Order: sequence, then C-alpha cells, then structure tokens
Amino acid sequence: MAIRHDRKVSILDVMGPVMVGPSSSHTAGTARLGRVAREILDEDPVAVHFYLHPPLGATYRGHGSDFALVGGSIGLSVDDPRIPEAIRIAEQMDVDITFSEEDLGDVHPNTVRIEIRGKTREAEISGSSIGGGVIEVFKINGFQTRFKGDSPTLLLFYRDRPGMISEVTKIIAEEGINIASLSCSRKQRGKDAFMQIDVDSPMSEAALQRIRAMPDVEEAKYLDRIP
Amino acid sequence: MIESFAHLEKLAGGRDLADVFLESDEQEHAVPGDQILEALRRRRAVMRDCVERGKGGGTSMGKLVGNEGKLLNDAFLAGKTFMDPLTVKAEIYALSVMGENSRMGVIVAAPTAGAGGVVPGMLLALEEERHIDPERTVRALVVAGGVGSIIALSANISGAAGGCQNEVGVASAMGAAAVAYMMGGSTRQSIHAAAIALKNTLGLVCDPVGGLVEVPCVKRNALFAVHGLTAAQLALAGVESVIPMDEIVEAMVRIGRALPRGLRETAEGGLATTLTGCTIGDRLKNEANERRAERAAERERAAQERKESVSS
Ligand code: SF4
Repeated sequence: MAIRHDRKVSILDVMGPVMVGPSSSHTAGTARLGRVAREILDEDPVAVHFYLHPPLGATYRGHGSDFALVGGSIGLSVDDPRIPEAIRIAEQMDVDITFSEEDLGDVHPNTVRIEIRGKTREAEISGSSIGGGVIEVFKINGFQTRFKGDSPTLLLFYRDRPGMISEVTKIIAEEGINIASLSCSRKQRGKDAFMQIDVDSPMSEAALQRIRAMPDVEEAKYLDRIP
Repeated sequence: MIESFAHLEKLAGGRDLADVFLESDEQEHAVPGDQILEALRRRRAVMRDCVERGKGGGTSMGKLVGNEGKLLNDAFLAGKTFMDPLTVKAEIYALSVMGENSRMGVIVAAPTAGAGGVVPGMLLALEEERHIDPERTVRALVVAGGVGSIIALSANISGAAGGCQNEVGVASAMGAAAVAYMMGGSTRQSIHAAAIALKNTLGLVCDPVGGLVEVPCVKRNALFAVHGLTAAQLALAGVESVIPMDEIVEAMVRIGRALPRGLRETAEGGLATTLTGCTIGDRLKNEANERRAERAAERERAAQERKESVSS
C-alpha cells in the first residue's frame, strides 16, 4: 500500500539516517520504534515485550530487527555500532526480553507493539516502520495518535476538561515556541485524555515545569527528535 | 512546498537546484540550510569511510556475500578491469557500501539501506575521477535528497510497498539527478536524468533470498549505480524522457500495487523461491533456530548459576 505522507519527508530523512545495516525499515526504523518506547518510559527498562505483526515476524531475524528493537529499547541510537551486540548488552543489564507474533490488524507489514516496563513505570506503543528509517507510531499508552519522532514533541496525559488546550498552547506561545501540529484523543469524556504537540524548536525546562504544574495534568513528557 | 517535478522546474527557473531544495526544506521543517549542509557533510564522510571499510571485504550475516567490492578493487588495482575507471569505481564503491551494510556496519540509508550503495557509488566515483570539489558533492546530496522527497510524496520508499523499483530504482533516479547537477547540468536536465533512470527500473521486483538484504541486493546496487550514470549522461547530452517524471512516479506506484505480495520483500517469490534460493532460505532458518535455542540455554544456565550463588 502506498501511503501519502501527511508532511513532506525532509532531505535529511531521504539521505539518511546514518545507521547500522542491513535494512532501513527492518533495522533503522525498528531501532527508532524501540527508542520511542524507551524515551516514553523515561527510565531503564527491566522488561520489554515485542509483539510483531506476522509479516515482520517472518522477516525480522534475518534483518537483525531483533538486535535493533532491543537496542533502541535500551537507549541505543540507529547509528550506534553496538546495535549488533544489543541483545547481549540487554542480558547483562538483566532486562527480560521476549518476542512473539500478534496480528495487529490492517496495518503496514512492518508493525510492532511494544510493552516496556521499568522499576516505577510502564509504557506501551504501537508503530510501523514504513521505509527509509521513517516511523509512524499510531498508539501510545492506549491513545490513538500519529507520532513520527521527526520533531520535538510534547506528550501530555491529563484529565479531560474544557479549556485545557488553550491553557497549554498559551504557555507554549509565551515561551516563544511555534506549534507545528496538535492532536488530541481521549478514552471517554471527562476521563483520561492525551494531547500530542509537535513544536518547531526545543522546549525549555521552565515551560515544561509550568505545564506539569497545571491542574489535571497527570504527566507531561517531552521528546526530542528521535535520532 | 514543492509538490511535483513540474512544479520544481517552474520554481527553480535558472537558480541553483540545491538552493531551491534547501529553501523549501527550511520552510517546511524549520531546519536551517547550513544545518542541512553540515549534516550532509558528515554523511558524505560516513559514506567515504564506509567505502574504505567495505573494500577490505568480509562476510555478511547470512554468509552469502561480502567480498564483491574487494574482488573488483583488487582487479582494478592490478590493471585487470576492462571498463573505464569511473564506471569501475562506481561499482567498487557501491559494492563496498553494501558489503558493510550486510555485516551490520554503519552506513547512510540513501534512501534506504538496501539501496544505500547506489548514490555513494555514483557520486564519490565521479568526485574522484573528475576532481570535483567535495563541497559540490555535498550539494549534490541535497539534490538527491530533494528528488527523493518529491517521489516520497506519492510513493512509499520500500521494497515491501512496491518492490525494488521503489528502492534501488528511486536511488538511481536520485543519483542521476545529482550527477547531472555535479556536471553542471540544468534543473531540467537533472529532472530528465532522474526520469530516464527511474523509467528504466519500473517493474523491478523485490525478491531477496532468505529475506536478507544480500542476494540480489549487493550486486544490484553496483549495476544500478552505472545505470544512473548512463541516465545522467543521456540527459546532459539533451536526451529527454517522453513521459514526464511525475507520470513515471505515478506509474511506479501503480506497478507497485499490482505486484503480487510474494514479490514485495516477503521472500515468497522470484529469486527467493528458486531451487538455490529455497535451499539457502531453509539453511538460514535452521541456523536462526539453533542460535535461538543456544541463547535460551545460555540464559537458563545463567539463571541457574545465579540461583545457586544466592542459595550458597
Ligand atoms: S531486492 Fe528488495 S531488499 Fe534487495 S535492495 Fe531491492 S528492495 Fe531492497
């Protein structure tokens, strides 16, 4: 299936990334998906479970996707020459790693669901590696979204209430940061909600503190570009 | 936003093509042009480095390939090649990059890892043979990336989506446009170079043996680096593609959709299901299972040891 990208892919995305071989969709994209899970968890993982969509399940081993997924999930970048050693490194770190197949529905062939657990938190993402190292994460902790890791992004978990969006965007505007795109989803009115805000320039710690201090904000995670 | 190649030609006028792409990227992605150039300078260096490492040879993960760049380089150094040096070097460099790729070495995906030998093969060989300023090569990488980004507006750049035309075909089109640019061609000539290259890769299927990026991928990169050089040569002489580039991309997408699943990276058709392909595929599967069993046993042993050390 040919996907029309919502945004034009940048020159650096096409002429890149710099990565460990052998396959940009099976190694680079998957390493980045693992890395997204790790960044959202935001602490050292103790267990990571990978649920591979069947086409990926059939091809992942030959392409080193297992090394790449694990490497990303323990914080390695796509160009880190230690990726071929990632599984061994994870074992030394005592991380419990499992791989299994799961039909993830009508999605890109190279799609994976990742459950990651640390000492104090856990996170879950589902995403696809759509070629050339480009990724599309479409689910974060149960919320529908569309995350590509190609710009600095704020992920906000909060209790749904009127006025939330304008308050958050006001803080970001006051910090002089331009919003590239914003999307929300929620599980039920007045219940858990999620906001993803892609911004044009890095966000300051001060801005983040202000957002975290807002009422009804459960968690605010700031992710830089995923390398 | 540059929406199509027709739009690009109009927008560029007589301006430097790399500048046009840099400006457009800066507007859309808020990354300043000098940052893009700096990143591409580093990527050119990674490509060079990768070529040097690759020339040393070695064995791929699937043990099917790995020494092609070294063999051709040795022949070249011994004066035993019969083609002109530019062509031979383009092949050596493409093969060397792909050798590294097959060993999980560090490479630049251009636009993908599996097609990552084509662009460096063409550009680095040309730079060396025609004594072109490396900075011009960096700007040519902008052109290559820009061309790829327009194609990516309508096509998914992966063998899984549309076969190898979407990877190696796209790489040779990107490289052809970049070579035309390096040789002082016009924007129109760059677009036609890309068109001629892409047009003649349509229908190329993705049927890697055992699902590995090894056979036919490694040698295919060398052949299509030369293919791209040829396309640029034609365009620079004024030869134009009758079918415009935008329509060729459309055709590529349609052909990709029409390709059966077995010919889109699944290793369930084509070369992968020849007698030899299947035999190799089975061997790889067995080896992978053995490795997995070994790792499980190792983990078991380690857990056992931990338990014993706790209880003692
Ligand atoms: S045959 Fe498939 S895996 Fe090999 S280079 Fe072409 S698209 Fe990539």
